Amino acid sequence: MSTAVHSHRHSAAPQERLAGPNFLRVLNSERIKFLSLLSTRILLLCGVVLLVGFAALQAWGIGQVTRSVQNGGTAGPRAEALDTTSAILHLPAAGVSFAQLIVGALAVLMISSEFTTGMARATFAAVPTRWPVMAAKGVYTIVVGFVLTYVGAYIGGLVAQPILGNYNLHLDMGAWDVQRFMLLNAVYVAAVALMGLALGALLRNSAGAIVTLVALLFVLPIIFQLIPGDFFTEARKYLPTNAADAMFEAGSSGALNTAYLEPWQGTLILAAYVVVLLGAGFVTLRQRDV
Amino acid sequence: MIQATDLAKVYGAKTAVDGVTFTVQPGRVTGFLGPNGAGKSTTMRMIMGLDAPTRGSVTVNGAPYIRHRAPLREIGALLEARAVHPGRTAYSHLSSLAATHGIPAKRVDEVIEMTGLGAVAKKKVKGFSLGMGQRLGIAAALLGDPQVVVLDEPVNGLDPEGVVWVRNLVKYLASEGRTVFLSSHLMSEMAQTADHLIVIGRGRILADAPIADVIASQGKARTRVRTDRPEEFSRLLARSGVTIQTPEHEVLEVGGLDPRSIAQTALDHQVLVYELTPLQASLEEAYMQLTKDDVEYRSHDASRHDEPPTPTADGTPAGAASSPQAPNHTQEAAR
Repeated sequence: MSTAVHSHRHSAAPQERLAGPNFLRVLNSERIKFLSLLSTRILLLCGVVLLVGFAALQAWGIGQVTRSVQNGGTAGPRAEALDTTSAILHLPAAGVSFAQLIVGALAVLMISSEFTTGMARATFAAVPTRWPVMAAKGVYTIVVGFVLTYVGAYIGGLVAQPILGNYNLHLDMGAWDVQRFMLLNAVYVAAVALMGLALGALLRNSAGAIVTLVALLFVLPIIFQLIPGDFFTEARKYLPTNAADAMFEAGSSGALNTAYLEPWQGTLILAAYVVVLLGAGFVTLRQRDV
Repeated sequence: MIQATDLAKVYGAKTAVDGVTFTVQPGRVTGFLGPNGAGKSTTMRMIMGLDAPTRGSVTVNGAPYIRHRAPLREIGALLEARAVHPGRTAYSHLSSLAATHGIPAKRVDEVIEMTGLGAVAKKKVKGFSLGMGQRLGIAAALLGDPQVVVLDEPVNGLDPEGVVWVRNLVKYLASEGRTVFLSSHLMSEMAQTADHLIVIGRGRILADAPIADVIASQGKARTRVRTDRPEEFSRLLARSGVTIQTPEHEVLEVGGLDPRSIAQTALDHQVLVYELTPLQASLEEAYMQLTKDDVEYRSHDASRHDEPPTPTADGTPAGAASSPQAPNHTQEAAR
């Protein structure tokens, strides 16, 4: 019996007959991992609640401003009317600045927790080529970043509609500029999430990677703004958030904001951040001992 | 089969594994024995493709781990510390690993059953005891029904029933013709489980032989003699090549003479002898002897200078006695 088992498995080209890891299987494995953690579901829920909440708050705020202007406010009515229109268009994605942090942190944790818990030893023993694991995590990162932002913004817009209605304001969720802005924000959050994943793979430390991501998205723009000089004013345009602001102008029916790069340039810069960080993450994952 | 050739791992200034060459054969339990920090875990991580060797190579069933198309079906491992996310259930953990190789859910249930985790499979790993964690690690190792099983300190934290279970499991796996490679710093466990022993100290192989040979090569056979005239009888037995110790009153431990010639001497000189017991050299003794220069973390390194190089010191070398853990083993060995 004993030798039978042995020869049976190793005589006739065992590698042809025994299924091993391929990308679809790893994708399935990562799906099980992703969905089996309570923390993941809580973070996802927080992200959606945040987007909806901010949209509702924004709707209420715009309504209040509009009412005070109508009741004899100080600002010129034409200028106010223009601002309100643009604010309403951007309203569904109002919470993105905060939602991106939640999604970014989630993406960091997807890979850093592998290392902090020791799960990485089991994961990379099962998939010793390693890259499919990161690629699969990348797929879920993109899906989660994009879908969470779009769905959260959409629900936010629906919740905002009756609130705006109270002030005789109207939000058309089907309008080109509304849809355009929501989709571009969803792309942006997916990009931030990919940066988070890459930082997680690079640093293997949850806190360190999240802090780095926050620094990149929030702290650097402020520092660049505080330092005087043309160089930093110009360099600031190349930071991820400012590049994203340029991207958000893509396809806009209004005039382009000259404070930003061209939309296509902004898109490329943002993509470059993602590609460079992900590349470094892949190399680190391949080279470094688990 | 696992084959390591001149395998080395250097971390900065520290050499964890220093060019080891060994083969782990199928069909038997091979013990990997060494003090803490000797390089056992590093070697096992290199086998599993988790750490890249600084030098040399290691293959599993003829190919480096990373080359295998279905690695979990070739070799399963329980590596030191837990390799589980504590927020997941045992079942999800095993399912996620099984999914990478298209292993059906039926097999996941099987290994859960086999390792006795049925009652806690749907509970989060966070709440597991050390023993449960070890069982889960063993379940993960067996998931792919692998031909080679590597277990790093598998009995750590297990209750006595669990220890017996692991012992029987590895023996059963070996009897099926599988390669079983088992690390431990517990000599008593090795003595009961392993057929073959690879002893490692400070990253180097100190012995690679059947367990009986390791004991035989290192420990000298001795005989315990109880007599009411120990001084006189020692003088009678003394000659070159014979070592005599007096561990307690009226007891002699004689090396270099077989019980028969001791009895003959007693008869010739009319000395009353009321015990004559051949002493088996224990694995502990053999191990202490092998590793006495290679214990990485001893409390005072200076002790090595006191070590007299006299080979007449029998199974209880004076040098080892000055290292902190030695006295215990000496006593155990004497029992």
